Formats: sequence, C-alpha cells, structure tokens
Amino acid sequence: MYGWIWRHLPGNAWVRALISLVLVLAVVFVLFQYVFPWAEPLLPFNDVTVDEGSGATP
Amino acid sequence: MRSRWPPPRDRVRPDVVLRLAVRTVSEVCLTAGTLIVLFVAYVLLWTGVKADRAADGEMARLRDSWAAAAPQAAPAAAPGAAAPPPASAAPREPRYAPGRAFAEMYVPRFGPDWVRPVLEGTDAELLKKGLGHYASTARLGAVGNFSVAGHRRTHGDPFKDFPKLRPGDEVILKDAATWYTYTIRGGPLRTLPTDVGVVDPVPRKSPFTAPGRYLTLTTCDPEWGHSHRLVVWGELTGTRAGGQGRPGGSSR
Repeated sequence: MYGWIWRHLPGNAWVRALISLVLVLAVVFVLFQYVFPWAEPLLPFNDVTVDEGSGATP
Repeated sequence: MRSRWPPPRDRVRPDVVLRLAVRTVSEVCLTAGTLIVLFVAYVLLWTGVKADRAADGEMARLRDSWAAAAPQAAPAAAPGAAAPPPASAAPREPRYAPGRAFAEMYVPRFGPDWVRPVLEGTDAELLKKGLGHYASTARLGAVGNFSVAGHRRTHGDPFKDFPKLRPGDEVILKDAATWYTYTIRGGPLRTLPTDVGVVDPVPRKSPFTAPGRYLTLTTCDPEWGHSHRLVVWGELTGTRAGGQGRPGGSSR
C-alpha cells in the first residue's frame, strides 16, 4: 500500500519524500480535527454529570 | 537461455502472492498501531491543550465583559463590608445565558494557580471549555444548590484532584461583582450517575437538612470510567465585593 503510493508519486526521491511528509501531516490534521473529536465521546470520560437518562438537564 | 523458461501459463508465482500478503498485513498492523498511538496522544494531550486554550479564551471574554460593566458595578460594590450574607435579591435574578461563562472558580486544594471558567449548562461541548453549571440549579450565592460538573480526566483534567477535597476546604467563585466563598462540608461521596438528588436544593445524602446556600461539585468515578460519580457539597460561608482581592485561605 505504501509502496504503491510511493511509486505513484511524481518526481525524484526528494520530491516524493517531501510530498509524503505533506500527506502524512494532512492525514494527522484530518484525524485530530475531525475523526478523533468524533470518536472521543464514544469513550467514557465525558460523563461527569448526575442526570444520565433522567432528562432533567441535558 | 533463461528466457526460454516460460511462466507456467498465466499463473502468478506463489512466493510473490505470499510476499504481497505479508507486506499488506504488516502495513495494516503498522497503520493501526500508529492510529492508536495518535489517538491516545489526542485524548491525553491534545484535548488538554485545546481545553486550556478554550478556558483562557472564556476567562478573557469574561474579564472583558466585567471590565465593560465595571463603571456601574464598582461604586455599588465598594461599601460591601466584611462578610454579610448576600443580598436576598439574588434568587429573583434571571438565569445565566446558556453556553456562556459567567464566573471563575478557584480551589486552593487543587493548587494556587488553579482557576477555571464556569459555563452555563452541562453539555459535552461546554465541558470541553471549562466547568459546567447545572442550568436547573441555583445561581451563585442564592438560596438553593449551585451545582457544577467538571471533567476529571481529559479536556484539561480540571477535577483531577477531586478525591483530595476534604470538609473545610474552600471553593471560591467570582462573578462580575462578588467573591463567594463556599466551604466543603460533605464528601467526596461515590454515587451512581442516576442519583440526581445530590443536586437538589437541599442535596440528598449531604449533611444538610434545611434550605441554605449550597454548592455541589460532581465529576466521574473511577478516574477513567463512567460507572459512578463523585460528589462534594459545600455551603456559602462568606462573600466579598469583587473590587477587593481574592478571599484569603483562612477566611470563614
């Protein structure tokens, strides 16, 4: 998979390395900005109130 | 003569297939491992960075709004003497604006520099920025139960040291015009998430039996779980005009 990406990047090795770095940073950005904030409430650290299920206060 | 060796029909060689399979599985495992490490870093570190930034933003906005309102508030606050019970006008005031910070909280037990904004509401989005005031409970200093929830872990770990709270500890809150000093009287108590009585005007399971000006803090328990809640209660033991400095550690 990574080899396939590498082979399809343009330019010589340096250009490819630079593009790879940019791609990695872009993926990390998307993860931190969109994917992880979505996944984080699925973990139990968010429940700190005592109205679970009662509907008294959201 | 090597070229004379014809590939057996159109079949791919099994060692090539095997190599491809092993490589793909390895890459998937490496990717999954990296993802998990990144996610842990996000939960443990990045949510804290974001929460601190959001809290600083809320505090700055809060102080700006207080500074803008100061000209009217300052003369009124000046004659405020040592520690009379707060004006009884408080309960009649309207609710706080939802989603906005309206006070800052100091807990000396959590450290001299510990300060967090208190926002109106307990949505998960709000709790990422600071502490959340149960919207159905009393206003600061009013008769009733001023109840606040906060994260114990992640999002800045505001209530990380919650179990260290003991009766006698002070929780100091400041709104636009006034410092409120609450003193812990009960807890920490471990209870169930469905135990909504702990934020009642006269909190159930607390040492209080008659109506008064109370404070309740809640967070999750165990530290990284959500099966229980940890609760402490306090009562108002002093107020002071906002123009004066923060109440000292020993004022009762």
